[in-house]
Formats: sequence, structure tokens, C-alpha cells
Amino acid sequence: MPERLGTAHTTPDGIAILAISGNRTVTPLKLLEYLQRQTAILAHAEDVNGIMLTGSESGFCCCSADPSTSPHSASQLSGFGQKTMFNLEKTGKPCIAVIEGECTGLGLEIALACDFIVASHSASFGFPGIATGQIPFCGGSQRLTRLVGKSKTKELIYSGDCINAEEAYRIALINRLYPSGEALSQAEKLLEHICTRSPNAIRIGGEVVNAGYDIDLQTACMLERDAFALCFSSFDQREGMQAFLDKRAPHFKGE
Amino acid sequence: MPYKKLRIEVANRVGYILLGAGSRFNKLSITTIRELKRAFTQLEEEESAHAVVLSGYPGESFAAGADIGQMVHFSPGDAFHFAELGQSLFDQIESSSKPVICALNGIAMGGGCDLAMSCDIRIATEGLRIGHSGAKLGIITGFCGTHKLPRIVGKNFAREIFMTSEPYSSADALRMGLVDKVYTTDDFWPQVVLLAEQIATHPQAALAAAKRLINAAEDTDLRSGCLLEREMATHINSLQPSHH
Repeated sequence: MPERLGTAHTTPDGIAILAISGNRTVTPLKLLEYLQRQTAILAHAEDVNGIMLTGSESGFCCCSADPSTSPHSASQLSGFGQKTMFNLEKTGKPCIAVIEGECTGLGLEIALACDFIVASHSASFGFPGIATGQIPFCGGSQRLTRLVGKSKTKELIYSGDCINAEEAYRIALINRLYPSGEALSQAEKLLEHICTRSPNAIRIGGEVVNAGYDIDLQTACMLERDAFALCFSSFDQREGMQAFLDKRAPHFKGE
Repeated sequence: MPYKKLRIEVANRVGYILLGAGSRFNKLSITTIRELKRAFTQLEEEESAHAVVLSGYPGESFAAGADIGQMVHFSPGDAFHFAELGQSLFDQIESSSKPVICALNGIAMGGGCDLAMSCDIRIATEGLRIGHSGAKLGIITGFCGTHKLPRIVGKNFAREIFMTSEPYSSADALRMGLVDKVYTTDDFWPQVVLLAEQIATHPQAALAAAKRLINAAEDTDLRSGCLLEREMATHINSLQPSHH
């Protein structure tokens, strides 16, 4: 029987729930290939407005690379993993990582490539791979540093220790903290709310935020100015502002 | 020319730019932005002002965003020029040699949030409502917010704020690092004045150098930033009275 790598289904409200099963027995390459395929499908699916990336009953995901991998295949795996994360970042749709249970190793790297992370009190986070000589390989060292700063990232990666959900909330690794067992339902409400906003504005905004983060502020602001002007040729802008003036709810088309 | 959308006061070495044209919600219309540019130029030249406070106090709001009635008719070209106008104001605030404290007395949405982020320090009342409603209006912000917000609160909070388009509370803003201090309604203004007056007692050249260095740190590699710091520290030191 082939390895079960995850499940995907879309709610009537257009929320795709992609549940990956990344326990310790799952091969990272297989999981990444699955994620790559699913990401491509979700990016193009017209009935999908937002994405929740979540785990299974055993946790979010805690698999890690095989330490005995040769340098060549490690490089291949890292290259493929990084590409998969970039693709996950640019679906053009809001994507929230929803964590119950353990989110470590590759799991944390995947969560970091989502727009933001929410979790319940049952969650834990870390990069335990250092004990067997491993470091993050899908962009996790870079994304975590940008999110929580150099010192916290070094502490986590050097020690290999896991932090609990409260600590993750304190250091702003996660945006929201929910009671155990409630992360999925609460995140779904949040995402449904986000999906009432202009898909156009969310897509352009996300792209401009990402594009401007690693360049100087002046150049980034020029990029923003042009993208801002572009919004004024859209249906969503006319509808959004008219609805505001009419004091009614807008009906966006994402065009 | 008199101001219509704001007034200026100077007291105890602090210059105050107080938004408020009588309406409950200050809007960042083209006129308001032009007046703000003029006001910052005036206070930059005003020798008795060593620090600047920008606020909507004692009104109800700080700035409730752009004027949607005006914006709804914008062509892409109008929007382009509007973004340029706003960005030039924010650039002016950042390039000013004087520290600028933003006293967030109430609602600060959209362009109001961006205006706050171009200031050096943000102090808020507990009743603050701050956020970006662009995605609710079908647009993104054009006033540098897509880049300032991630630099201040991190990418993940920034994306959440843009995506939800909801106003956030003062407690949320403090946790995310979007504001530096929160005070009760009663303590708010006295604390703003206290901090501004304290800052204004310090040597102007040192304040200006510190502001320039800290702003440069954002876009400069560490070695170049340190070089700049060394040059500026040497220069500032040479200005000490004991060296003359």
C-alpha cells in the first residue's frame, strides 16, 4: 500500500484544508512532492479562496531528512524543498498554518512558508535535527531568523530544544493561540473572514510584502506605489469603495 | 497661508502638529497631506522646536485613513500621484533632523497607520484602534505600509493585519510592537508631553545623528552601518563645547 501523505478537501465556503501526515516514518522527499503537487492544484483551483495547512491526529509534522543521505542527494533534496516552499508562498491565496501537536523539523519549515501560523496550547515547535547533525534545509533557517530574530533562531537550532505554544506566542512565532483542539475550527473562522476581503488586494498585497522585504525601503516603496495604482483599474476597488460609501457589504470578484 | 486641517503649537522646545478640522474622523485627503508637508517644513525651520509631536489630540481620532469619497473616483494615474504625494510626506518625516513622536489618541487606520509608522516613536491611548482596511476596499496601501509594517511587526503579523482588514486594539498593537507604549486616557497626554520635553532637552546634533543612524541601520549592511556610526560619533564628539 502506498504511503499515505495527506488529505485535501475544500469546504463549500472555498476553504481548502490540506492535512499532511508527517510523522517520523514519512520520507521527506515524498512529503515534499505531495506538497508540491497539492500546492499547484490549490493555486489554480477556482473554487479555492483560502488554504489551511494542517496536520493529522499525531501532530502537525515532525519528519526530518535521513542523516545518511549523500551530499549530492542532500543538495538535490534541499533545492527541491526550497522550491516547494517558494511555490507555497506564492499561490496568491491566503494560507494559514494551523498547528495542533508537534511541529518540528520539516514541519516547522513548512509552517514558516505559510502566510502566518496559528496554534493551540497542544503545539510545540523546534528543530531537533542538530542532535543527528542536521540543520533546516527548506529555507527554515532564513525564514525563522526574519520572523523571530537571530538570537532566538540560534537558540532553537543550536539546542535542538522544543518550545511550547505559550513560548511560541510570546516570541511571535505564532500569531494566535487557541485552546487545545480548537485551532482548526478557530482558524477556519478567521480564514472565512479573510476570504470576504478582496482577493485581488490580498494577492497583490502579499506579493508586494514579499518582494519588498529583502530590498531597500525606497525601491520597495516605488514597487508599492505602482501596485497601488494598478488596484485602481480593478473591479474590486470600485466595488469596495462604493460599498463603503453605501454602507453595505462589498461583493468582490477578485478582478 | 493659514492651515485648515491642523494647527501648530510650540511649547517648551516641543513643536506640536495637531490634526483636527472639527470632524470626528481626520481623513488623509490631498489637502491634509499637503498641509502636513507644509507643517513639517515649518517646524523643521522653527529653531525653538527641538522635537515634534504629531497627534489628533484632543480630538477623537488620529487619522482614520484616506478620504474614500475622494478616492473612489481616482484613475490609476491619480492613484499613482496620490501615492507619490503621501510617500513624499513620509520621507520628509523620516528625513527630518528632529525626533518625531506620534501620539496616537484614537483611530489610526490605513494611511493613518502608515503616517504613524513614519514617525520615530509611537505612544497610544488604551482606546487605540489601528489597522489597514485596504483589502476591504479592494486596494493595498500606497503610503509605504506594505514595507514599513513588516519591518516593524514582522512579516507574519503584517500579512494578518492586511488580510483581516480589521482594527486592532492597543494591547494587540503593543504585543506586535506596532506601538511602543500604551497609557490610560488620563495619563496619555501628560506622558506624551513629558517624553517629548525630555527628548527636547538633549543636544540637537546628537538626536539628529542618532535618528539618521537608526534609520540607516534598516537598509545598510552591518559593516557599512558601523563605518557611518564611527564617522558620525567622531563628528558629534568634535561639536562638544570642551573642544572649542
